[in-house]
Amino acid sequence: MSRREGSLEDPQADSSVSPLPHLEAKIQQTHSLARLLTKYAEQLLQEYVQHQGDPFGLPGFSPPRPPVAGLSAPAPGHAGLPVPERLRLDAAALAVLPPLLDVVRRRQAELNPRAARLLRRLEDAARQARALGAAVEAVLGALGAETGGPRAEPATAAAAAIAAAATGGVFPAKVLGLRVCSLYLEWVSRTEADLGQLAPGGPA
Amino acid sequence: MPAGSPGPAAQSARRPPPLLPLLLFCVLGAPQAGSGADTAVISPQDPTLLIGSSLQATCSVHGDTPGATAEGLYWTLNGRRLPPELSRMLNASTLALALANLNGSRQQSGDNLVCHARDGSILAGSCLYVGLPPEKPFNISCWSKNMKDLTCRWTPGAHGETFLHTNYSLKYKLRWYGQDNTCEEYHTVGPHSCHIPKDLALFTPYEIWVEATNRLGSARSDVLTLDILDVVTTDPPPDVHVSRVGGLEDQLSVRWVSPPALKDFLFQAKYQIRYRVEDSVDWKVVDDVSNQTSCRLAGLKPGTVYFVQVRCNPFGIYGSKKAGIWSEWSHPTAASTPRSERPGPGGGACEPRGSEPSSGPVRRELKQFLGWLKKHAYCSNLSFRLYDQWRAWMQKSHKTRNQDEGILPSGRRGAARGPAR
Repeated sequence: MSRREGSLEDPQADSSVSPLPHLEAKIQQTHSLARLLTKYAEQLLQEYVQHQGDPFGLPGFSPPRPPVAGLSAPAPGHAGLPVPERLRLDAAALAVLPPLLDVVRRRQAELNPRAARLLRRLEDAARQARALGAAVEAVLGALGAETGGPRAEPATAAAAAIAAAATGGVFPAKVLGLRVCSLYLEWVSRTEADLGQLAPGGPA
Repeated sequence: MPAGSPGPAAQSARRPPPLLPLLLFCVLGAPQAGSGADTAVISPQDPTLLIGSSLQATCSVHGDTPGATAEGLYWTLNGRRLPPELSRMLNASTLALALANLNGSRQQSGDNLVCHARDGSILAGSCLYVGLPPEKPFNISCWSKNMKDLTCRWTPGAHGETFLHTNYSLKYKLRWYGQDNTCEEYHTVGPHSCHIPKDLALFTPYEIWVEATNRLGSARSDVLTLDILDVVTTDPPPDVHVSRVGGLEDQLSVRWVSPPALKDFLFQAKYQIRYRVEDSVDWKVVDDVSNQTSCRLAGLKPGTVYFVQVRCNPFGIYGSKKAGIWSEWSHPTAASTPRSERPGPGGGACEPRGSEPSSGPVRRELKQFLGWLKKHAYCSNLSFRLYDQWRAWMQKSHKTRNQDEGILPSGRRGAARGPAR
């Protein structure tokens, strides 16, 4: 298979035993999953702001954006990186997100105990981020790219840091939860866009 | 720092926020929108207050922030800017706020009181919890399905509106011994309900009560004492069948089976039947069906589809003297009465309440006549049954004359020659 970044064409491959269709299917499948999760992440964000009360969710609301240890928003230069590198960053972010979403869910269970749908969405988001991250790693593996290895430590450290912050004042906890939900949306939609580059019909 | 001045029962400011790890938050040079810094602090943090009370709060800008001053700061509450006359500068770095006669919190996560810089960026926030302590829950009612479990429902005091998250906990214990237990499965039949699935004793009373708790206090209901056997309900009767009664145009026969879970105990069970015309919402109820598993509905309209349901009350289980609790209604079963050339009078073993008025006076008079006959004449075998047989024979004869069908209803082969003697 060609090692050109973002390309799947390999004219010398024997099509009867080529893994190409399987890989294409896998990419297509993972891209579809990312598209679906982007929609869910948007719904999660809407549900979240609704339960925190105004000004959360008001147009023009510009909350503080506290940095979260081990996770930042996609860099401005992300789209200019080679696709495998982008996917590595996507997978790394998706691996850090689940424990952060868990911490947010636990805090929201105290602040909004009757918001069953919000709590369920947060729980689902953690599971879905894990699934999408694993699927992206599988695509990277099939592409022959290095996946970057286990990321338990950064995820644990990020979760510990955010858990400490989340036990503080209620308003900062609301802001922090908003930040995590926003980061989740940013990273799944970034992943969708990056996989779209690889999907059949996408730009080479 | 000035604290809030809540009502007498309120708890004031919560503990101050812990020192945040440097990994997570950085104090930046100047407050900027989106910087993520807490460059100020509001006191009190997350206070709990009674409705109608007042609050004094302050927003203090961190002294080490260059250009940090209270000049130009302003407050919002739930996104709405507060009038400037409610604020005043205490000193160069502190802006105070005085709120009076607070309304109940708009959301359970707390009202968002935010301190803003002149450019609108958020410097700090605090969440206010304004509400009422819970009132005593009341009207606890419980029932046991087939003696296996216990479900209880209650009404929250003050119709539940405390404006604060209020936790309800159903407690129970055996009256004469044992420890307090707490129900764990909530909201099973509505928001204020709980289900105890197992490990319940019979023939001994339980004490049951509800405790309500929120940030402003707690309240406890009166204790309800009951024996599981006195509050038993069961499943609806299964296998409800509705069929025609021969050619009788105004009657339907209803049969059912005792609910299987308690069938060995239902010596005194009561049943109720309700029925309605297909396109009506008005149910008629037959409630004098004691401990039998069949009934005949009479006084129905010919050529009409009826929906029928049955329910069971397993009272008297193990000698309980209490009224028992009705089951749910069975699934509706439908059947139609035969068509008729002419409207038929009412009659039958299960006279419904509210049956058609035209059949009521006729049947009443007939009943009186038959009663008189039995006393004063030698016709001891006269009865409504005979009357029904005569009616069936009359209808049959009418059909045979006009339509020449010649089909006899089952079990009445002799009816064509007249009623039995």
